[in-house]
Amino acid sequence: MSSEPRVVIITGGSRGLGAGLVQSYLDSSDLVATCSRSITPEVEKWQQEVPERFLFVPADLSKSADCEAFVKAVIDKWDHVDVLVNNAGVARDGILGMASEDDIDAVVDLNIKGTLHMSRLVSRRMLARNTGCIVNISSIVGRSGYRGLAVYSATKAGQEGMTRALARELGSRGIRVNAIAPGYLRTEMSHGLDEGQLQQIVRRTPAGRLGEPDDVARACQFLTDPRNDYITGQVLVIDGGLTG
Amino acid sequence: MSNGTTQQLAEQTVRSFVARVKPEAPELELDTPLYAEGVGLDSLEAAELSALLEDEVGSDPFTSDEMPQTLRDILAFYEVAA
Repeated sequence: MSSEPRVVIITGGSRGLGAGLVQSYLDSSDLVATCSRSITPEVEKWQQEVPERFLFVPADLSKSADCEAFVKAVIDKWDHVDVLVNNAGVARDGILGMASEDDIDAVVDLNIKGTLHMSRLVSRRMLARNTGCIVNISSIVGRSGYRGLAVYSATKAGQEGMTRALARELGSRGIRVNAIAPGYLRTEMSHGLDEGQLQQIVRRTPAGRLGEPDDVARACQFLTDPRNDYITGQVLVIDGGLTG
Repeated sequence: MSNGTTQQLAEQTVRSFVARVKPEAPELELDTPLYAEGVGLDSLEAAELSALLEDEVGSDPFTSDEMPQTLRDILAFYEVAA
């Protein structure tokens, strides 16, 4: 395993699962860039504690110009990208029949178009180096579905299709593309669920608890470990056995 | 940056890229096709050249409306863009 620190981009790393991913790659001595629409206390903490290994760029990745500015800032600072984790996402819950056009656009624009824009910008730069890893954070609801999350589920299933296509497209250049489908985590993204729903999920989960960001971060480290260069085009489900 | 300098930089970038990835390719003329029946760049190599031009020259003819087919097309893009 190379001792050189990797340049890692984690989108949407200012809180929740994304913040857990940022912390994990800072802990593994890598150089970590992240973005979100607004700054958080976690981001301020990293800016103070590890300024030489951490970069934050305010960005709304549903806008392609923001994606370009973010990637350019990373290239300007660290020259290249070794790992891209497409984590930024948004959910708006409610039955599809009551969703507004804006609800649908907001979720599709960030979860699908933002992921495609970032993957396009980063993968074209990975080509010259013949190496790189992309991990897309999807969700078990992209496979099992969940009432009130039709748009979100569609985008997560879409990310998994993109994962398989891009793995085929880039495999000959040593670039691996995988996805992680987390189950229900104890983060803000699960706030649409009430306590009764969360307890029901816990009862049905063989592991007997909700997921933590670090459960997903360890899986992400595994998929992006250069020793695991025979794993690509896969979706790793991290849900405590809920959908097993 | 003047047109001449931009075009010279673009030409130098294309020539050194082709020499690196297709060392066996015939001499690159202005009208040699970049893909099949010419230099033989595949789609991933074209994407790599596109990213390289973006980094070296600051803009990229491959993401404009018309995909350049020859070195002449690439240089024409920078003549208009500069």
